[in-house]
Amino acid sequence: MTRYAMTADLRRCVGCQTCTTACRHANATPAEVQWRQVLDFEQGTYPQVRRVFVPVGCQHCADPPCEHVCPTTATKKRSDGIVSIDYDLCIGCGYCAVACPYQARHITHKSQSAFGGKRTESEEKRFDESRMSVATKCTFCADRIDAGKARGLTPGVDSDATPACVNSCIAGALAFGDLEDARSPVSELLARTEYFRMHEELGTEPGFYYIVDDK
Amino acid sequence: MATEVRKVPEYCYQCVAGPDLLTVKVEDGIATEIEPNLRAAEVHPGGGKCCVKAFGLVQKTYNPGRIVQPMKRTNPKKGRDQDPGFVPISWDEALTIVADHVKAIRAKGILDEEGFPRIAASIGRTSSPSAYIGTFPAFLEALGAVDWSFGSGHGVKCYHTEHYLGELWHRAFTVCPDTPTTRYVLSFGANTEASGGVVATWRHAEARVKGLKRVQIEPHLSITGACSAEWIPVRPKTDAAFLFGFLHSLLNDHPRAALDVGFLLAHTSSPYLVAPNGFFLRDSASDKPLVWDSLRNAAVCFDTPGIEPVLEGVFTASGLERGADDDRWRHEQVRVETSFMRLVKQLAAYTPEWAEKVCDIALGTVRRIAAEFLQHAQVGATIDIEGERLPLRPVAIVLGKTVNNGWGSFDCCWARTMAACLVGGLEVPGGTLGTTVVLNPPRSPRKASIKPGPDGFMAYAFNPTDRARWKLKGPARNAHSALVPLSTNSPGATTLGPAHLAWMFLEDRPANAPRVTFPDLWFVYRTNPAISLWDTPEIIKRIAKFPFTVAFAYVPDETNYMADVLLPECTDLESTQLIRIGGTKFIEQFWDHEGFALRQPAVKPRGNTRDITNISTELAARSGVLSQYNDAINRGVATGISLATETYDFRLEPKSHYDVEDIWDRVCRAASAEVTDGNATDGLAWYREHGYRTRPVPRLNWYLFPDLKKNGIRFEMPYQERLLRIGVELGRRLHESGIEWWDEQLHEYQAIPEYRDFPAIWARDVVLHGGTAEQYAFWMLTSRSMQYSWGANAGIPLMDEVARNIKGHRGVVVNTGRARELGIADGDLIEVRSYLRATRGRAILREGIRPDCLLIMGQFDHWVMPYAKDLQAPSLNTITPMSVALTDATGSGADIVRASLKKLASA
Repeated sequence: MTRYAMTADLRRCVGCQTCTTACRHANATPAEVQWRQVLDFEQGTYPQVRRVFVPVGCQHCADPPCEHVCPTTATKKRSDGIVSIDYDLCIGCGYCAVACPYQARHITHKSQSAFGGKRTESEEKRFDESRMSVATKCTFCADRIDAGKARGLTPGVDSDATPACVNSCIAGALAFGDLEDARSPVSELLARTEYFRMHEELGTEPGFYYIVDDK
Repeated sequence: MATEVRKVPEYCYQCVAGPDLLTVKVEDGIATEIEPNLRAAEVHPGGGKCCVKAFGLVQKTYNPGRIVQPMKRTNPKKGRDQDPGFVPISWDEALTIVADHVKAIRAKGILDEEGFPRIAASIGRTSSPSAYIGTFPAFLEALGAVDWSFGSGHGVKCYHTEHYLGELWHRAFTVCPDTPTTRYVLSFGANTEASGGVVATWRHAEARVKGLKRVQIEPHLSITGACSAEWIPVRPKTDAAFLFGFLHSLLNDHPRAALDVGFLLAHTSSPYLVAPNGFFLRDSASDKPLVWDSLRNAAVCFDTPGIEPVLEGVFTASGLERGADDDRWRHEQVRVETSFMRLVKQLAAYTPEWAEKVCDIALGTVRRIAAEFLQHAQVGATIDIEGERLPLRPVAIVLGKTVNNGWGSFDCCWARTMAACLVGGLEVPGGTLGTTVVLNPPRSPRKASIKPGPDGFMAYAFNPTDRARWKLKGPARNAHSALVPLSTNSPGATTLGPAHLAWMFLEDRPANAPRVTFPDLWFVYRTNPAISLWDTPEIIKRIAKFPFTVAFAYVPDETNYMADVLLPECTDLESTQLIRIGGTKFIEQFWDHEGFALRQPAVKPRGNTRDITNISTELAARSGVLSQYNDAINRGVATGISLATETYDFRLEPKSHYDVEDIWDRVCRAASAEVTDGNATDGLAWYREHGYRTRPVPRLNWYLFPDLKKNGIRFEMPYQERLLRIGVELGRRLHESGIEWWDEQLHEYQAIPEYRDFPAIWARDVVLHGGTAEQYAFWMLTSRSMQYSWGANAGIPLMDEVARNIKGHRGVVVNTGRARELGIADGDLIEVRSYLRATRGRAILREGIRPDCLLIMGQFDHWVMPYAKDLQAPSLNTITPMSVALTDATGSGADIVRASLKKLASA
């Protein structure tokens, strides 16, 4: 079995949004649609304040609420743990977007240029009509993983089989791999660090781990 | 589906923390994606990654607001209220107009009636546009004399004071920790995680998980503060007090043996004896400074073999004391003391408790930090680097903007360097390092810039202050050679000079200052001073008076709005250039390799844009300077590599007209020959495929200490005898010329700094302009984010989109508690007013800022640039005065202003 997961080392993340833009490029998401983004939080009151940057996006839950509410079975959990959306089946009802505790889903009804008005040549080249009025979200760059695996590459190790956000991270904060493989980057990291998963109390069993310290 | 997909290697150098190596994906001729060039991880110290700004390049290329046709102005009136009436013209007409102006100027004489070059030029963002400017510098070189006084994106607003003093003391144009090895960093406002680029971010992240503790000392909790172990919210402009208290603690709360006494004695001027008038006591015959030798119990020359100098003490000795203008005093058996003794005495008053009160921070902080610093310093530890045993001192201090420029920055730079010396941690592994040199070439390797100077110190090319050679009127409008001896007369000196003085003196000349003329012709490249300088409404009025401005234009902006001709160049993904990479360079570019990287046309040029190298060649030909231009390229001007050496010859023929590809092919061949020691001469085609070529360089190049030690050269710490002398001489020269408006700056020339109430300088300035300190109760500050730092990408929607994930953009950050007291809620429209005028924006309530401070991220306030003009962002520059009173002795000011706060409307 394979369970793909991602880790974000909060000690490393600097909130630069390079992952956000890399995802925007790799997945050609419309303006303002960020499948990966980094939030900027404060804790405490002046002068005892901490500020922390937290990468977020689809958590690829083992028990995804979005899948439960999908009326068309467009949302499915693949055998490798990646939660996917079949755009041909999706009717854009938005149930999944409401059900997702991580606010990871987006529905775009009208795509326009980031500059406003007519799409630029590059935007036009990347425009995909099938993404309109359907739910979209982080796919862990599933196409890239599948293509890479077909070439015998290892996701999380070989860049051509690894999500764009991980490849791009300039702080080495993001890692990816198969939780079931003890030698994968994520397994090795989680074996030696303290971590948490977001809203773990909801029982969704996210496939996204936040590292806070060494063990 | 795309029928043809290519990945084209490129570099991004939009900020000084570059270059980043990347690839651009091109589908059927259209750029679609930026990706890091992960193959480069083999040589790139940031894992081969590229930062967020690089991802804006696709939108930058296809920006519908681009100027893609040469334009000329039809409205002779210039100003913010004047529509320039730009109309499209042909390249032939545009180039003819510019070349005719150049020829007319050359016919009149390249210098004007005041002796200033008639042609001026400005390029932006700390010269990073030189990675895009092609061979244009060779064209300027061919013209003979060009004035860079009006700023090139650096100068007074950058790490200005650090540039000068850093180079003086340890060839450090900028300063950083030896991050991979250090374990404790005190950061006074250095926003490394926002402005340090990929390499700094990568190195610090690696260091953090290995246990680096960084303490961030700054008025607001910056991005870097967020990534630090501790935040100390210091009152603005009191950093020097913190550092003085910190030094006091190191000197008084711990035994001397806890410091690196051996380093202080052998590698600094600590044992040099100071005579009654404040200058070194010298040997009458050799003029060398004296030290007290405990073996002979006598004063001897500092470089006498076999002596044991004393670190601190008061002695009776004879010798010569030499002051300003060769004033000399012969002393017989006078009371002298060591420089270190002077240091201890001077700092005695600056107790940690005093500092904590001045800085408005918790009691006990400074002593605790000093103890932690000392504990982490591991005095006595060593490390082997490439077979050489070196001291290991894993502690460093770094300073950020507004700390290392403007009033107080001399004190901070001095104290930082002194602290490093106290633990033997300057220019050694783990310690405080310089990155590159600019004013004291050669730049690379940095150690090549070490030259023995007087008194056992490094040489430094001060501008002369003696009566015979000092001149009030220099070759540049910003008066750097007259007012700032530290600015040197090196090729880069004018660009680093006090640019705001040039702008000010155009209209408001203080008594007896030289008359400053408008240049006949001003070239503007990738810079927008109408936004980025202080008092921007006044700057705009002065730009409008420039008689003829030629702007290389990407989109309409606030500066080229006043231009006469717009030349649209191919931009980042459309043009060709080869640059040097590797070695050591700011901000934290510490490579184990060096070589070259290529930027190439990944896509066809948009519209009727042209490669700037072709524009430059054409301008040179039409201006009648083609042979001088080709000669400059042959010498390596603009390219950084000579086209002919003993082993190769790829020179251009003087009178031939070369295409961009031919020129850069020759540069590539020369580069290949250099990198391979002549074994390869691959040209442009090779670099187009591979992107970069490097060779290994020694890690020892990172550290200056081994070479200083081998050459018997000391760090000029703690005592600034040279600066003291120069300051006295400068004062005399200025007073002889009837200039008294630089007197406050003269006080900064001190042998060991005496703390002054720096915040009071701003309070006094407010009072001078009819206000009160209470009326302008807030400190208005600015800060950077990685999305915008140096990027000139305010008009790129993707940057705006992702920048909004980081709090603070597009508004004014206000302390939550203070805002509540004032009835201000998050999102309310507020007005921030200085004694000049007001700027307005939405309130962003945050806990991570002092209650007496306000903060604006970035520096915007655009009113022309497409997209950016709709951001409705406030700007510190709009309300910050240009002022001699707010200018320090190095000619720098700071991005800080006293301001009032008022709610205008609810959200």
